[in-house]
Amino acid sequence: MPEPLLQVRGLKVHFPIRKGVVLQRQVGAVRAVDGVDLDVHKGSTFGLVGESGCGKSTLGRAILRLTDITEGEVLFEGVDLAQLKGEELRRRRRSMQMVFQDPMASLNPRQSIETIISEPLRAHDITFDNRRVRELLELVGLPASAASRYPHEFSGGQRQRIGIARAVALEPALVIADEPVSALDVSIQAQVLNLLEELQDRLGLTYLVIAHDLAVVHHVSDEVAVMYLGSIVEQAPSDALYAQPLHPYTISLMSAVPVPDPVVEDSRQRILLTGDLPSPANPPDGCRFHTRCPFRQETRCDDERPALREIQPGHRAACHYAEEILSGHITPREPDEALRAGVA
Amino acid sequence: MTVEYVPGQPQSQPQTTIAGHGDRPLLTVTDLSVTFTRRGRAPVHAVDDVSFQIRAGEHVGLVGESGSGKSVTSLAIMGLLPRGGVEVAGSVDFDGQELIGLDTATMRNLRGQELAMVFQDPMTSLNPVITVGRQITEVLKRHRDLDKADARTEAVDLLTKVGIPDPARRVGDYPHQLSGGMRQRVLIAIALACQPRLLIADEPTTALDVTIQAQILELLRELVSGSQTALLMITHDLGVVAGLCDRVHVMYSGRIVESAERRQLFARPRHPYTGGLMASIPRLDQPRGVPLTPIPGSPTDTLPWSQGCAFAPRCPNSEVDCRMHTPALEPADNRALRCFHPLTTDPRSVGATHA
Repeated sequence: MPEPLLQVRGLKVHFPIRKGVVLQRQVGAVRAVDGVDLDVHKGSTFGLVGESGCGKSTLGRAILRLTDITEGEVLFEGVDLAQLKGEELRRRRRSMQMVFQDPMASLNPRQSIETIISEPLRAHDITFDNRRVRELLELVGLPASAASRYPHEFSGGQRQRIGIARAVALEPALVIADEPVSALDVSIQAQVLNLLEELQDRLGLTYLVIAHDLAVVHHVSDEVAVMYLGSIVEQAPSDALYAQPLHPYTISLMSAVPVPDPVVEDSRQRILLTGDLPSPANPPDGCRFHTRCPFRQETRCDDERPALREIQPGHRAACHYAEEILSGHITPREPDEALRAGVA
Repeated sequence: MTVEYVPGQPQSQPQTTIAGHGDRPLLTVTDLSVTFTRRGRAPVHAVDDVSFQIRAGEHVGLVGESGSGKSVTSLAIMGLLPRGGVEVAGSVDFDGQELIGLDTATMRNLRGQELAMVFQDPMTSLNPVITVGRQITEVLKRHRDLDKADARTEAVDLLTKVGIPDPARRVGDYPHQLSGGMRQRVLIAIALACQPRLLIADEPTTALDVTIQAQILELLRELVSGSQTALLMITHDLGVVAGLCDRVHVMYSGRIVESAERRQLFARPRHPYTGGLMASIPRLDQPRGVPLTPIPGSPTDTLPWSQGCAFAPRCPNSEVDCRMHTPALEPADNRALRCFHPLTTDPRSVGATHA
């Protein structure tokens, strides 16, 4: 297997919590990303899924060094980005681009589309002409006449296309897309997802797609990692993960997604999680998920933090009891009982 | 056990036999239109001749994208639209009483007591400087004349009922001290404080994470199905509707384009918009690699309904007559459809073979 385009090793991003006015001593840290390893292979799509606050966006930003890295390595084409500074880092960024969630907030309302799309080219001193801009617009399915117009003249889906055109203008190797469709209307989402796939085929792009929507991630990704409270709890090829989730969190997450089919909805069993995501400033001991886990077993889950280990070929999960859950020896507690716990 | 739906054959027993479904609907909306007017601008017809009924204990879904008029419909029913610049026409009959044009005092008595609403964003619909306990007791004092001590006891009971742990302590909390899911539970507690006969939920789970969404939907299902409370669920998420509603109305550009019993609707969508929506969503329970069939254009590419079918510019089935005449909402085998050229095949399978 060729060397991965992107390798992340033991990545940690901690945001300090400070107290006091003058001395600002550090009293703790929000462990947004707490030890993540991942490999992204050239030409593939890696999906990162998790709920809000799990650290998936921070991880994406840290890979591009948009957020400072506390610890760990980010090897991109063999070079550790965590060690780069200033001009060197800036030049490296030419081959890594980002597509943001909110297409309104990520486009400057006072710049014309031409200026927006050609900005990365100017930033990296690449000579270009109108033809290049028209080419880029055409690539994302917008008319050439869009060049002289302004962001407010476009609909949400079209704005997201402009953001994508800007991201691919430098012909990057890696594109990180943070929630690329969640701000769009349902009927538009498919257009943007199809466009991303088409561009991957034409330009040989590698994607890291960050999203909370499991169905979207499943659809676009070759490999999927599920994050919970700053670390990856399960990682596998997309089809394997969705066919047979192994980690209790993934199992519950998938059973929680409503499926637009009444026949499926009526017959399937739901595993309801109790409570909310614990604070990443004060994560629980042992397995991070044990406070909400319907499969939790006495003491070991509370005390020992499980490592991400291979359960089936290519399918890794961070759970002490993944095998027992898979074989059915451990069954979830009754969802109703769990829901009503603490309720009279 | 699930009932298989056989296309082409009528459902053996439509799901309307839940105890207490009277013959007379609880809410009858007839030709409801809401027009926003502004000096010097063309009026906007946000809701256009919308008619539907809800029986006691029934769960009805109103589905549409942003701008389809689904939320404005609910605000019109609740009498929550601003007074200036809005024209509301048509009739909303709630158990024999006409709600449109009702005087403020009577409407206030109904609202919160007979009709209740849960909004999308729990942070903006709760008052940030008042404890959640007081926001619940306010309703109880106003509508049920409880004194302070009784109202507090009742508020704790309600918080218990919606599954908030340690309710006796939580009544003294401010909204910012609660998580998103808990805030939504508080809103549901407020809405259910007077056991309303109609609960309108406007995108109640859109701002929440999937696992929390599942909790809230389960809670709504549990609280509503045991009682006589009718539920009007407003959402853009077909998945939410598929599991919760008896009957579904699909709205596009201010009008209902298709209504059907949920199993029928999902088994065989007839309107190209409904079918297009279903074909464009990636599904968790299907193998990947099946390309999505998006609906071309955007929700702003519409024709005015007065000139033809608003969906015609985006519709794969549209023909000349769609842009010349306005299709009417016609009843057809236990559903209603507004289309000249309805789907004959399932676009989900067409998408798989074309690509």
